[in-house]
Amino acid sequence: MKKKVLSLLLTAVMAAALLAGCGSSETESADSSGNSSASSSEASGKTNWVSQDKMGAAPAKDADFSKFKIGEIESYVIDDGGWCQATHEGLVGAMKELGISEDNLITLEEIDDTDQAATQAAAEQLIDAGCNVIIGCSTGYSTFLPEIAAKNPDAYFAQWGAKQDNIIGYMIRSYEGMFLAGYACGLMSDTSLFGFSASCNEFSVRTAINAYALGCKHAKSDAKVKVACADSWYDIDKETQCAQSLIDAGVKYMGGEYSSPAIPETCEKNGAYVVGYHMDRSAEAPDAVLVSFCWNFEPIFKSILIGVENGSISKNDMYYWGGDCSALTDFASFVPSDVVDKVKAAKADIASGKLVVYAGELKDNKGNVLVPKGEVMDDATIQLQDFFVDNVDCAW
Amino acid sequence: MSADLITSVLSVAIIYAVTVLYATIGEIFVQRAGLMNLGLEGLMLMGAVTGYLVAVNQQNLPLAIVAVILVGIGMGLVFAFTTITLKADQTVTGMAILTFGTGLSGFIGKSVCGVSANLMFEPIPIPGLYRIPILGPSLFNQSILAYVMYFIIPLSMIYIYKTRAGMILRSLGENPAALDSAGYNVFALRYVYVVFGSVMGVMSGACITLSYTNFWSDGMTSGKGWIAVALVVFSRWNPLIAVLGALLFGAISVIGIDIQMYIHVIPSQVFSALPYVATFIALIFTTGNFRKKRSSEPGSLCIPYDREER
Repeated sequence: MKKKVLSLLLTAVMAAALLAGCGSSETESADSSGNSSASSSEASGKTNWVSQDKMGAAPAKDADFSKFKIGEIESYVIDDGGWCQATHEGLVGAMKELGISEDNLITLEEIDDTDQAATQAAAEQLIDAGCNVIIGCSTGYSTFLPEIAAKNPDAYFAQWGAKQDNIIGYMIRSYEGMFLAGYACGLMSDTSLFGFSASCNEFSVRTAINAYALGCKHAKSDAKVKVACADSWYDIDKETQCAQSLIDAGVKYMGGEYSSPAIPETCEKNGAYVVGYHMDRSAEAPDAVLVSFCWNFEPIFKSILIGVENGSISKNDMYYWGGDCSALTDFASFVPSDVVDKVKAAKADIASGKLVVYAGELKDNKGNVLVPKGEVMDDATIQLQDFFVDNVDCAW
Repeated sequence: MSADLITSVLSVAIIYAVTVLYATIGEIFVQRAGLMNLGLEGLMLMGAVTGYLVAVNQQNLPLAIVAVILVGIGMGLVFAFTTITLKADQTVTGMAILTFGTGLSGFIGKSVCGVSANLMFEPIPIPGLYRIPILGPSLFNQSILAYVMYFIIPLSMIYIYKTRAGMILRSLGENPAALDSAGYNVFALRYVYVVFGSVMGVMSGACITLSYTNFWSDGMTSGKGWIAVALVVFSRWNPLIAVLGALLFGAISVIGIDIQMYIHVIPSQVFSALPYVATFIALIFTTGNFRKKRSSEPGSLCIPYDREER
């Protein structure tokens, strides 16, 4: 009996230890998909925000990229169907546009962004190989790369996430694309109930949820978004159940932040519809994916490479671009043309500033006013996203 | 709790259980024979990638299954030769299989990552049975690989406990010296069961990419191989108890998602931890010495048999 009690006590202690890391935190740490907080952008006080007007700028006619050697540090594999693949494809696309051979790209995969030794070894390996531009796909690397960047002033390091010393920062206004995707769902749905299948409680996921919800609301003022949380970046069973639970709750249109095809496949089996995430997911479930939100890093990487070539770039530069970077794929054929036209018009309105995603009056789901009427949310708050907008029903 | 909710949780639990049970039952046979293969995760990944590669390139599911079986036989022979003939440490060899399977699957799977096979074992509703409320859609609207498992479970029980061959299997794991003295070829028998276990292990992986979902991604088994190893111990080397354990684990893994959609007071992370807490509790009660009950663990588990030491 005594042994049984002791064993149960031990189990309880271990379970409590398991839960010790639960709950959201004000200061977020890096995660496996490379997203992270963005609250320390003014670490050096010299951040230079690169204007989105520079998007699409062409290199000089006599630009010479032949001596460029580019290194890429990925936290997972480059064909993960998600974040790392989007980063890699953006880089390859930018190189191709500038006439840089893919032979000049060195990719190091599965470099754990919590492993200092591995990260530094990877960066040093790329430096030794002659790389003059090094891209870190996960913000977790920013803990370790500044030191190496300082020791190698001739090389340019670019890092997803917040601005760090000696490193060019870049982020994408993903909320623009997700807002438009939510708007499309809102236009297509007969009901005001929508869903969102979320992975982990992290700022980019909350951004996607909020933007999607605001988009649905833009089409239907009484739109409600129910969120199912997998609490995992990659779990086929949980992602399947998230989609199934939402469908069982009456949801027919849902957004999602996911890497596996489990959610689109489940939607297709049940006659529901979903927004693809990270990249084009139409091939996974052609009858369910109405459009996909894609991270399009190509314009940013192209701008960085041009800047390095002509010397105009600064290590204080920070990119926070939307527009074509926050891209939507073509709509599925079953999406009516009037829906497509309205979404395109909304996209143009966002680009012109006529439509602002986080414009007041905006409340959170606890009734607090986030943005008063007539004002707009500042970038720092947008990047942190430590709230859910008023039409989101979420357990986090 | 609505009927739809029960059906959907049960459906996912059954799919989860089937993908794990092939490896679990295979490992039960291996451990009953006196060996332990901890490389199930590597086997599952190799099965998943092999089946998917053939499905994508040849668009032929029977051929994919044949390829998976051949890979299982090959990997099983490697493990068997290393541990039975060379008498290498079984834990280390299992880890080597794990590492090899994980690395090789990631390497050869690169060409089909992100590629849709558009070919899988679709669910086949059993006429009549499919319409039974709640249980019907869950149990009788599954793929053929699940239906095969429905037969494997009772057949395994009958084989192990009701046949002469099963008695020999149990003796193999309890006292191989006695079996050797009776004139049975202990080494050959162990080879057979190790290869069988390996084939079942790769079939578990094939279930994931050819039946459960239709894509390949590096490391997509997400630790199911380890769950299978734990289930072998949890089940006391009994296939029927393994089924209950797999269903329980599968249901607990996903039911939290439904509950937290409606009850926000409990953090979602609590539900994520539930399967592992349940595993701790289950293992304590099944392996702890609380009652004076003879352990079901094979007496010669992990002990290489050497005729000269008999």
